[in-house]
Amino acid sequence: MADKKINKRDIAKLPNEWCREFSVLVPSRESGTVAMTRWDGKDIGFLDWYRNTVVPPRDSFLPLIEEMFSFYKDKDGYNIELPPPKEQKQLIFGIRPCDARALAILDMTFNDGYQDPYYLGRRQNTVLVGIGCTKAYDSCFCTSLGNSPTDTTGVDLMLTDIGEDFLVEAITDAGKELLTTSSLSKATEADQARAKVSEETARQKVTRNIDIRDIAQKLRASFEDQDFWQKVAAKCISCGICTLLCPTCYCFDINDEMSKAQGVRCRSLDSCSFPIYTRMPMENPRTEKWRRVRNKVCHKYEFYPMLFDAIACTGCGRCIRLCPVNWDIIQIIESVPTGA
Amino acid sequence: MINSARQQRLIDEAKALLKQGKVRWIIGFEAGSLKFTTTPLITADAGDTSRLVINSFIVNNLSNFLPELEGRIGIVAKGCDSRSIVSLIQDSKVRREDVVILAVPCSGLIDLAKVEQLIGKDRDEIDAISRKDDKVIVTLAGAKREFSISEALYDNCLACELPTPQEYDILLGEPILPSNEPAAGQKKLDELKKMSPEARWQFWKKELERCIRCYACRNACPACYCQRCFVEETEPQWLLPIPHWQDNLMFQITMDIHVAGRCTDCGECQRACPVNIPLRSLTKEMYDIVADLFHFKAGMDKEALPLMTHYEQEEAEDLIG
Ligand code: SF4
Ligand code: SF4
Ligand code: SF4
Ligand code: SF4
Repeated sequence: MADKKINKRDIAKLPNEWCREFSVLVPSRESGTVAMTRWDGKDIGFLDWYRNTVVPPRDSFLPLIEEMFSFYKDKDGYNIELPPPKEQKQLIFGIRPCDARALAILDMTFNDGYQDPYYLGRRQNTVLVGIGCTKAYDSCFCTSLGNSPTDTTGVDLMLTDIGEDFLVEAITDAGKELLTTSSLSKATEADQARAKVSEETARQKVTRNIDIRDIAQKLRASFEDQDFWQKVAAKCISCGICTLLCPTCYCFDINDEMSKAQGVRCRSLDSCSFPIYTRMPMENPRTEKWRRVRNKVCHKYEFYPMLFDAIACTGCGRCIRLCPVNWDIIQIIESVPTGA
Repeated sequence: MINSARQQRLIDEAKALLKQGKVRWIIGFEAGSLKFTTTPLITADAGDTSRLVINSFIVNNLSNFLPELEGRIGIVAKGCDSRSIVSLIQDSKVRREDVVILAVPCSGLIDLAKVEQLIGKDRDEIDAISRKDDKVIVTLAGAKREFSISEALYDNCLACELPTPQEYDILLGEPILPSNEPAAGQKKLDELKKMSPEARWQFWKKELERCIRCYACRNACPACYCQRCFVEETEPQWLLPIPHWQDNLMFQITMDIHVAGRCTDCGECQRACPVNIPLRSLTKEMYDIVADLFHFKAGMDKEALPLMTHYEQEEAEDLIG
């Protein structure tokens, strides 16, 4: 199907139309931070200010808090109740290319030997509509990781800014179905050409770069280089920001919320930056800070490539932007000793 | 300019301290990787000291790193940081003879979140931000805009009671008197106090609902130094690790009580929070209550007994009275 376009003034028509079938989420500041929030039917103001969310869209698939099941005890023993089956279908409008890719990266873990029904249920139930970036943050480095501000990996439908309009392009079948809305008009060849230009302009705006050649090997060779890791970790305060808000981090903890003979089993996100991480089943083998910092870097740039042949970092820059001490993963990756 | 002169003096002093073996570590600030940021520089290498900076963005309270390093430490300290150092000395977490305080008289730090609000742009889209007397000058797309410091400095800086460290070894630059803007620093609190209890409850519910329990507020706080925090206890489990807002509230309130008498209003908790929860409205209220009830201000006098280790007869009357 040929590409379509829509005038920016009319953009609200899209979520308005889609919300008949889907529960539509858009970027919003409503909660007090920037997060994907239920479309309220009017506010498309985000088009002016939105660059990326603080809370990654991962939250719609692997939420901060998730009820796995509830249980209660009666005279016959314990009873378990699963949460009600999946609600309405979800549509995320405005996901950035790095975050869409992050979901593709998370799929590798949750759709592996163990199939996680909670995560996968939401994934299968959700359509992703991407909007390409036009102004990268000074912490973005997606282009170093084979990604780009207008990359379409992982989205179903993609919008690219071409001035007055957005070019609207279906990437998957689910995306094609969205194209049937009446608010779209046909894109011309000139529009396609404009999209090419805008892609290149957007790419130029990503100013930070890293060299990821042989990074997994370099990290393996430097694993025991305590001096290096201690230096790199010195200013880290072991908070959970760079992991809990990283779109590709997925560690979780499981706890029961109990009251008398009933309760809810919840899973909530956990962080390998915390000294008490994994203390529940055993001890944390990474008691010193530098070991935890090393784990965070190696998990993304060494272990994940080993397991899934993919780097578990999208270059979204959240860990740099949001870190209270400006710990910068780009500088770390750039300074890993060659191991020679 | 004055600033570059004192920055050079800092570099010289820090280098000499390391070279002469008077300290093992220097903790200061260097330029950060993003616009208008600085980042802690923790080094044992005299060569690194040339990277030290002093500017309006030296936000972190570096005293936070003191308890985790071994050996004598030379540390860059603004007024509030110096109070935290004194408080750590009072609590026997740090020995006075183990620190060399490189004191920076501070005229207040620029709050980038406020500047972003004023300008309607993100920090990395701004060309330049500078400070001139009681003005903050922001350059955007070549055009300059001036703001008063009461609009653009951190609330805790506006309310600062000790811009020039009282306890120091080396003073970098001329002493500075407290600003005349304490009311501006109290604005957010005043707004909250005017609310009905019900409205205030709803306010905090909404704020704390987005807490992700990253513990950055606790970890950035030099007064929170427990080896094992109550939130991590499992027997008994005071608090679930699941970030429901009620537990998040309990976490904040308990933390505030734990740092009562040690919080110096440095503002780090709020600054560290990735989801903008106005935590200082809680800590500053506690700070004011401590001042009212116990006539105690953290980190002002290293000889004073820590607040919670003693009591004066009159306190009981105030408390019950
Ligand atoms: S956000 Fe920064 S301080 Fe917190 S754990 Fe990550 S690197 Fe350390
Ligand atoms: S490691 Fe940092 S840059 Fe990479 S995906 Fe995570 S938050 Fe984004
Ligand atoms: S609180 Fe005071 S000493 Fe601390 S940074 Fe602000 S002005 Fe300086
Ligand atoms: S820094 Fe903010 S989000 Fe993190 S635990 Fe503290 S209040 Fe919650």
